[in-house]
Amino acid sequence: MENKNIYLDNSAATRLDEKVLEAMKPFLFETYAVASSEFGYSMGIKTREALAQAREWLAKDISADAEELIFTSGATESSNIAIKSSVEKLSKKEKNHIITSQIEDFPVLNSCKKLENQGFRVTYLPVDENGFVDPAQLEKAITDHTILVSIQHANQEIGTVQDIAKIGKICKENDVLFHTDATHTFRRLPIDVNKFNIDLVTLSAHTIHGPKGIGGLYVRKGTPLAKYFDGGFQEFDKRPGLVNIPGAVGFAKAAELVTEEENNKLTNLRDHLINRILDEIPKTTLNGHRKKRVPQNANITFHLVEGESITLHMDMRGFSLSTGSACFSNSLEASHVILGIGGDHERAHGSVRFSLSRYNTKEQVDRTVDEISDVIQKLRDISPLSNGSEQNELQKEKIS
Amino acid sequence: MSIIKVNCINETCPVPLVETRKALRKAAEGDTIEVQGTHSSSKKEIPMAVESMGYELKSIEENDDYWTIKIQK
Repeated sequence: MENKNIYLDNSAATRLDEKVLEAMKPFLFETYAVASSEFGYSMGIKTREALAQAREWLAKDISADAEELIFTSGATESSNIAIKSSVEKLSKKEKNHIITSQIEDFPVLNSCKKLENQGFRVTYLPVDENGFVDPAQLEKAITDHTILVSIQHANQEIGTVQDIAKIGKICKENDVLFHTDATHTFRRLPIDVNKFNIDLVTLSAHTIHGPKGIGGLYVRKGTPLAKYFDGGFQEFDKRPGLVNIPGAVGFAKAAELVTEEENNKLTNLRDHLINRILDEIPKTTLNGHRKKRVPQNANITFHLVEGESITLHMDMRGFSLSTGSACFSNSLEASHVILGIGGDHERAHGSVRFSLSRYNTKEQVDRTVDEISDVIQKLRDISPLSNGSEQNELQKEKIS
Repeated sequence: MSIIKVNCINETCPVPLVETRKALRKAAEGDTIEVQGTHSSSKKEIPMAVESMGYELKSIEENDDYWTIKIQK
């Protein structure tokens, strides 16, 4: 049973596409030199050209110039640099305020917490029941002391997509930097850094069938950024260190392979999964907005059972699911995202994230629903929470 | 064929099931896993998981202090 694993944890990591591996191979075995200038040797020039090509493709996709995109080791590093390095450069006595939301992923949240410990003032904006930041509340929170706003494009657990165009406009009008973590939206939803007035964007390859350990950071031309690491002059003197050229090439190839057709397929699979679960399994709540969510994400609370128990039993039946984001799934603490949208500890502990990919089929989704339905029923039969407790009438509308 | 003992006495859900899964993963075909515990929900959910994985549930015994579940891989 374990050999026929159905993997639905693609927001944590995706299977590498063979075409990505093929694109990377030459830069691991044949053209493996460090990228060098025209004055260097031919192999280094070839790698430099490949790096430039990858950078250009990725930058163009978000309407940026190639030199505005730097390669990093992934989303964590990108968000750390975006927040800490911009704040370091711009902070003055009177400029010491950062705004973010309560449901950001840990690289953003913990970067902000670190700055808070260093004396910066941080506003953690609350979100509504679907996970949306209120743009009017954001605008109200901006003061003359505000340096940066960091609001994610879509949430890592519940998939809710923020109105980053509106948020970007507010930031521009108020002359504060705007960073967005687009780890879960890059190539799944359009991003236009100019139209949306974004100054810094976190990108990663690991969610789109690219290699792990490679990400990107868009930095708008002229955005002040202190050097995060000390070293050489790579990546336009913004991120020193040997550039991961096979990774960069693989990242661009992975991005290129994501199509609108694939995103439409994922949206249909997602809605099918949500509809079947809400229709067939009693006492379930969808977390996040029904439609304004990324195509690959469904997050559902199965009341009266522990999420960890569900994922354990599902794993033993050959299904890979998680209870929260990747960073979160190793702990048994309640999800800060579900708590942030107003859920109580019971709702937070019973939430399961289903994240889909290119390799998932309708048949797999149906098998997942059939199996989880059986697991939930059996766990509720033995759950001490089920016995004699009064049940609330839970929302069970079907997606139209 | 060996006997693998898993002590989950005083552990609560989901630890006994996690430890059972770990033991099952490491065990060879034909090995017997003996899980001892005190948590009542785990006593119910371990047999449920074992059954769904297709392994043989050999026995569930209980004394005044703890229960013992025997599974054959």
